[in-house]
This record gives sequence, C-alpha cells and structure tokens, in this order.
Amino acid sequence: MNRIAKTWPAAGVSEIPYWVYTDPEVYAAELERIWYGDHWIYAGLEAELPQVGSYRTTTLGERQVIVVRSAPDQISVLENRCRHRGVRICQLRSGKLDGITCPYHQWSYALDGALQGVPFRRGIKGKGGMARDFSPSDYGLLRLKVEVVNGVIWASFSDKTPPFRDYLGEKLWSSYERIVDGRRLRIVGYSRQSIPANWKLVIENIRDPYHGALLHVFLPTFGLFRPDQASELRMDETGRHGSLMSLPARDSGGGHEDVTRDLAVDASLQLADKRLIEAVKELKGVETLGSCSVFPSVIVLQQINALQVRHIVPKGPGGCELIWTHFGFEKDDEEMRRRRIRHGNLFGPAGLVSVDDSEVFAMAQRGYETAEDGGATVVRMGTGGRENRDEGHMATESAIRGLYQYYREVMGL
Amino acid sequence: MNASRENPPTASHREAIRALYDAYFETLDDGRLEEWPEFFADECRYRIITRENYEAAQGLCIMQADSKGMLTDRVRAILKTQVYAPRYYRRFYSGLRVLGGTGKEWEVRQNVLIVQTLIDKPSEILGCGVGRDRVVSNASGELKFVDRTLVFDTEMIRNSLIYPA
Repeated sequence: MNRIAKTWPAAGVSEIPYWVYTDPEVYAAELERIWYGDHWIYAGLEAELPQVGSYRTTTLGERQVIVVRSAPDQISVLENRCRHRGVRICQLRSGKLDGITCPYHQWSYALDGALQGVPFRRGIKGKGGMARDFSPSDYGLLRLKVEVVNGVIWASFSDKTPPFRDYLGEKLWSSYERIVDGRRLRIVGYSRQSIPANWKLVIENIRDPYHGALLHVFLPTFGLFRPDQASELRMDETGRHGSLMSLPARDSGGGHEDVTRDLAVDASLQLADKRLIEAVKELKGVETLGSCSVFPSVIVLQQINALQVRHIVPKGPGGCELIWTHFGFEKDDEEMRRRRIRHGNLFGPAGLVSVDDSEVFAMAQRGYETAEDGGATVVRMGTGGRENRDEGHMATESAIRGLYQYYREVMGL
Repeated sequence: MNASRENPPTASHREAIRALYDAYFETLDDGRLEEWPEFFADECRYRIITRENYEAAQGLCIMQADSKGMLTDRVRAILKTQVYAPRYYRRFYSGLRVLGGTGKEWEVRQNVLIVQTLIDKPSEILGCGVGRDRVVSNASGELKFVDRTLVFDTEMIRNSLIYPA
C-alpha cells in the first residue's frame, strides 16, 4: 500500500488535521484499509431474514451486498455484482429469492453465491459457447466472511479479521450484549438520512460526552441528561471501539449552579405529554443511555426505550448516509411497541435530539472544506487517550483521541 | 379507516375540507408553528412515515405524535431546543380527494410536495408523499384532524426534516 503524502500535526492526536475529513486520497485509503480491511462491518439483523431465501441489500463501505438466509442456519453476504459483466443483480431493498439470477444474460447463482447456470454454455447447435477451460466454481459471487453475534450480522471483506468477540474486545463486550443480549429481535422500522459530512464525524460524536448537554438542549431541558450524571466512557485496547454509558442523575454535591451555569436551559419549559420520554426498565443495569460504537460502521444504542443500530455508509470524503434500524424484542407487547415508536421521535432525520448532531456535522464539514492548509481541530478536553479508560465524567475528549491513535496506525499516518 | 364510503360528501363539505387544507398549509408555510396544533382534535395521531415502514406495517415514523400535547412538544423543541441551519419550507398539495365519510368524519387523501430553501442555497425538493387523513367536524362545527398520516415516498432525507407538513 502506498504511503499517504500527509504529515500529521506535531501535537499528535490532540489535534485532528482538517484533511482527514476532506482529502480524496485519504478517503480512498480509508476504504481500502478500514472498510475493506481487517474489520467487521455491520450487515443487518438476523430478524430481517426470517426464512430461507429472505434477503436484504445493504452497503458496506461503498460496495453493495446481498445479505441472504441461504440455509436455515446459514447467512451469506455476497457482493451484488454478477461475475459475468459486472451488473448489479438485485435492485430491491428486500424480498425473497429462490436463487440469484442476473437479468442481463441469466447467469444464475445459488443462495450461497455458487454459480449454477450459464445459458448456452455449450453453445447453440454446437456453435459457440463458453471457453472449454471455464470452471463455474471459479465464478461464484464474491462471498464475504460472516459472523452472526446475538442476532447481529457482521461481514468482512478480509479473511484475516479475527473472531468478532476478539475484534470487539472484552471491555466493550458488556456494552454490546447489554443491548443485544441474545433475545430474538423484532424490527420497529428504518429511517435514512444523507448527511453532507465526513463519516468519521458520526463516530466521533458518540464518543464525545462533552457535547451531550451543551448541543442537545432538549436533554437537560426535559431532564433526560445532566452534565453531572455519572458516566462511563469505555474503549477497547486499540481505541477504535467506544462506549458511553450514563447513569441516572445523582445528587453530586458541589452545587447545582456549577452544573447548569454553562447550559442554555429554560427551566420553565415542560413537556405537555410526558409519554414522549417516559421509559420502563428493560435492560440490565441502571443506565439511562448505553451505546456501543463498533468501528467503523455502526453504533448500537439504547436511550429510554428506543433501541437502534445506526449504520454509517461513507459517500466520499464530504458525505455519508446514516441508516437507522430501530428494533425491539419479539416478546414486546403492543404497549411497548407503541412506546418504542414514540421514543423514536428523538432520533433520525427529524429527531428531537439527533437533528442537532446531523446539522452540526454539516456545519463542521463546511468549516473544514474552507480551512487553511495545516489547520486542525483541537481535542484537548480531559487527559490521555486509549490508555485512559473508564473516566467517570463528561468533560473529556479522550475517546476521540483514542480513536485517532488507532486511525493513525491503521492508516500509516 | 372507519369512515364509510357510502356517504359521499356534499359540495359544501368538500369546500370546507379544502379550506381546512388551504389554511393548514398556509399556516405552516408562514412558519406560524404555534398555531399548528390547533388544527388537530385533542385525541389525535400525527405521522410522517416512510413508505417503506408504512407498507411493511413497521410503525417507526420520521415524525410522530400520539396527542395534541405531543404536537405542542414538537413545536417547543423546534422553537426552543433544536439546533439547525435556517431554512424555509413550502408545501404544495394537489389531487385532494374526499374519499367518503359519515357526515361528521371524512377520509381525505392528497399529494404533498415539500420544497426546502436553505437561506444560502438554491431551493431543492425535500420530499413528496401522500396524506391519508381523517378529519372530523367537532361539537362547535370546526373541522379538525384526528389522524394526519403523511406517507413519504422519499425514504432518504436530505440530512434533516425540521418542520412538519
């Protein structure tokens, strides 16, 4: 792999150069080394594929794949491109297949990607036909490595990616399995937004407890989050995965003023219908928010009774898509289903909370795109990086620094 | 939907319903958000839901309310707590059809196109969809929405959907 002709700022990971968000060469290297490298990428939920033949199309990095239940206990993730003339085979987002047949010349593949049929392979009336040394077993659809972990389907373009649990690390496993604990899931619905900002802004955001009560005025205003809540910020050993948990507000002493002084909270505001945020306890522990960010593609998050996967699809240095899959458990009753839908108001393209993030990502990207050469963002709240685990407070950016410790290694920067 | 299609609306019902929609979209286009919940009955449902979720009977919405109070909460958030770049929306409706009713309650459908103008960018289409609504005539004879469901063809939203439609 070629070295990227860029020099990281001398300050190390407490400065993030603007070019990581804007440079096409850096972006191309991210696709190769991160998205198509030794990493697990989110491919969907097992609950989306109830029967043999059930499939969905989705995008891993920039490459589209078919995720299909190819046998009762087997899920295959296949690149959605015919090996013959490179045509995208499946056009729908989901459905049910008996086999996979390209519309152009009717090459047909089994559900596990094996090439089964090539029309006129032996020619027509003895004339023409496929080259004699053509071996169908060499021309199956590209199959990705797959692992299904507690109902979540992971795929990798690299054979060298370690088993998922090793990849995630023990430190993050408890954040992951707190939300997807092995119970059978049920889809509540999807939402999709196209964000005019670099994909890394999305994963930095969820590792940044500093912005929580400052940007998201809704949270402290309506009592969902206070900056003095105990929180726990976790990283794996590499720094690439991150998790933010927050515990119920406590009386921390030290005076309320210190906590709210810097916040734009109007204490007179009340919700007219508190059902909007009223939650019932359903997961282990007392956390009010728990997130598990699995580098690079996904954030699994619980807040109140909204459970969701936020799937990031990079679209060039200056854009990404964020696809939200909200889910519940198969055993949810009607009241819980309705509660999850209500709590869904906080998230997605019209999210009472998450709009703030996606709008700020766009504002950040506009800042970076017009920045001077050599400019950088400043990430100096708190101390340390990935070695600095389990900080119990929110005035820190250590998990962003941890992320870029890993990023520099994998990118050779 | 409960409304029977065997009671076709009269011309004056149609005219009154069309006036409701004219006023509804004018209020929103003018940005008079505080007045928006007043178009709804106290017991009401409001939804902007993608066609994908609607057709799969998956309930997640882009924007949703189970009561007039939640509409008020949405307005408070838009005006007081959410952070977003300044913009205008203009909503165009067409093909309004009153599908039937009971004399007190009607099913109404209409196409909706939303054009977004960020103050420093050219205007662009934000999305389009179809309203599948239920409108009632209340005790004082005013028309109110009991269900406003906008099924959105546009599943990929240009970053954010701030205002209702």
